[in-house]
Amino acid sequence: MIRRALKAIIYRELKRMFRQRGRLLSAMVRPLIWLFIIGSGFGAMLGQYGPAHYQQFLVPGLLCMVLLFGSMLASLSLVYDKESGVMRMLVIAPFPHYWIIITRTISATIAGLVQAGLLIIILFALGYLDLSINIGLFLLGLVVTAFLCASAGILLAVFSNTLENFAVFMNFVIFPVFFLSGALYPLQHLPPLLKWLTLINPFSYGVDLLKHAVLLDFHEAFSAEFSVFHDLLFIITFSIIALLIACMRFSQVRVIEKLAKVLSDSRRD
Amino acid sequence: MAFAIETRQLSKHYGELPAVKSLQLMIPAGQFHGLLGPNGSGKTTTIHMLCTLTRPDTGTIRITGINALQHPVKVRQNIGLVFQESALDRSLSVEENLYFAGALYGLADDVIKQRVDELLQLFDLTDKRQTRVAALSGGMRRGLDIARGVLHQPKVLFLDEPTIGLDIINRRNIWRFIKGLRQRLGMTVLLTTHYLEEAQACDQVSFIREGELIGQGQPAALIADLGAYILEIETHTPEQHIEIIQPQLGPPIVDGDRLLFRISDETFAVSSLQKQLQASVQALHIRKPDLNDVYIWKNLAPGSMNL
Repeated sequence: MIRRALKAIIYRELKRMFRQRGRLLSAMVRPLIWLFIIGSGFGAMLGQYGPAHYQQFLVPGLLCMVLLFGSMLASLSLVYDKESGVMRMLVIAPFPHYWIIITRTISATIAGLVQAGLLIIILFALGYLDLSINIGLFLLGLVVTAFLCASAGILLAVFSNTLENFAVFMNFVIFPVFFLSGALYPLQHLPPLLKWLTLINPFSYGVDLLKHAVLLDFHEAFSAEFSVFHDLLFIITFSIIALLIACMRFSQVRVIEKLAKVLSDSRRD
Repeated sequence: MAFAIETRQLSKHYGELPAVKSLQLMIPAGQFHGLLGPNGSGKTTTIHMLCTLTRPDTGTIRITGINALQHPVKVRQNIGLVFQESALDRSLSVEENLYFAGALYGLADDVIKQRVDELLQLFDLTDKRQTRVAALSGGMRRGLDIARGVLHQPKVLFLDEPTIGLDIINRRNIWRFIKGLRQRLGMTVLLTTHYLEEAQACDQVSFIREGELIGQGQPAALIADLGAYILEIETHTPEQHIEIIQPQLGPPIVDGDRLLFRISDETFAVSSLQKQLQASVQALHIRKPDLNDVYIWKNLAPGSMNL
């Protein structure tokens, strides 16, 4: 029975995504701006390796960026949904409340992957990706990273109350997570504090995993910095712990009680 | 008798504030029951407890015989809830909303399709199938919301203020829909409303005040018990008129310049009273009592001020 519900929730998420054309378009344009503008600028500065080389270096990071924005924003929007009609339907539906969290995480994962899929098509067309990559590892890396972003987003969403936090999330979570991940530069030369921050940032390992899959014949200084096993271990452990905490929190009587009150009191819908 | 809803000693506090105080409700299967009281009297908290969204501090709840505290998911399978606020996705169409709701209950597509056709017809929404919810009027949205709440054919339907915020025409429509639903599906319905006069169609009503049950009965019997007529008087000199009328009709309910007297004796000669009062009152009005009056008399000791 939960499978039908899950299917409906995923279907709704995708339908909404494709209806919000602006959101989808900006999800595609954002990484392309990085690729062409930042990529060309910094690439030219890097001289010896040339701009094309730096743009190539950015590809794994930009794919992860799409997942970060796509999956994390999709699961974070639970904050907004807490006050919406859909949440009323979900809290009264005949499954334990933690399934709301799980289905939401899965649908956010898929939403991010669909966006990444669109970007991959564009990158293929532009010649930044070809079939010489490690396709198995590439797909695995995309899936676990999307799941990581969705789980992290859902964890933040269950602990925050209002929509106003959204801008806060953007500035204090999404951007720092992206900048401190190795998506834009190798981590090894960073000063100790920043380096330490990148090492506890689980998103770094998603980027690294995709570097393993994509940057196959790159110079040592620019290629992946951790082992595949290390990356997977970090990503999966973090995602599962985040999801477990979110589920546990959402199963608490007082959390649901408060939610029920909000759902009955709000005059917003 | 099989009870659809059975609560014993149900209590709930929010911090220091008691919301519901040892509430006992026994609602037989198939009954149309009204839980009546003003805003903030504990109606919504009660409904949330019955629907497994809020946990009582003490007491037991059985819904269709199932212990709601031990088996909340099973209870949710058997109930439908229509919140005061709409439980619809505004960005989806009428039909998409119903399919989504049906899928949450694990219904197969062909079952959903058949029920959606039926319900849209019952709620006059057939030609709005593809319309987005955001574009519907308030009355239509409410109708759709109720259709959403009964799509899985629950044994017990909870309606929390189904007519709140609607104009009189839409309110009548909603009552017509509820009646049609009950005729078709025969489910138990527990309804809350603070438009007490609207609850006259209920089989049985419970009055609730500050989380406590203060009376229960069949609307017609409660009204008949109250009296044959209500005499409403508007006056600038209430004390003076109370003095004249009280010996004949008993103490009134006083609401500023308005006095409400019960007339128990159907043959009471109003004309003689009218003569006594002369032209000293602003208005004099005799009418049949309704549930509002029952509530007022249950709630306020005659002679007290402020309604």
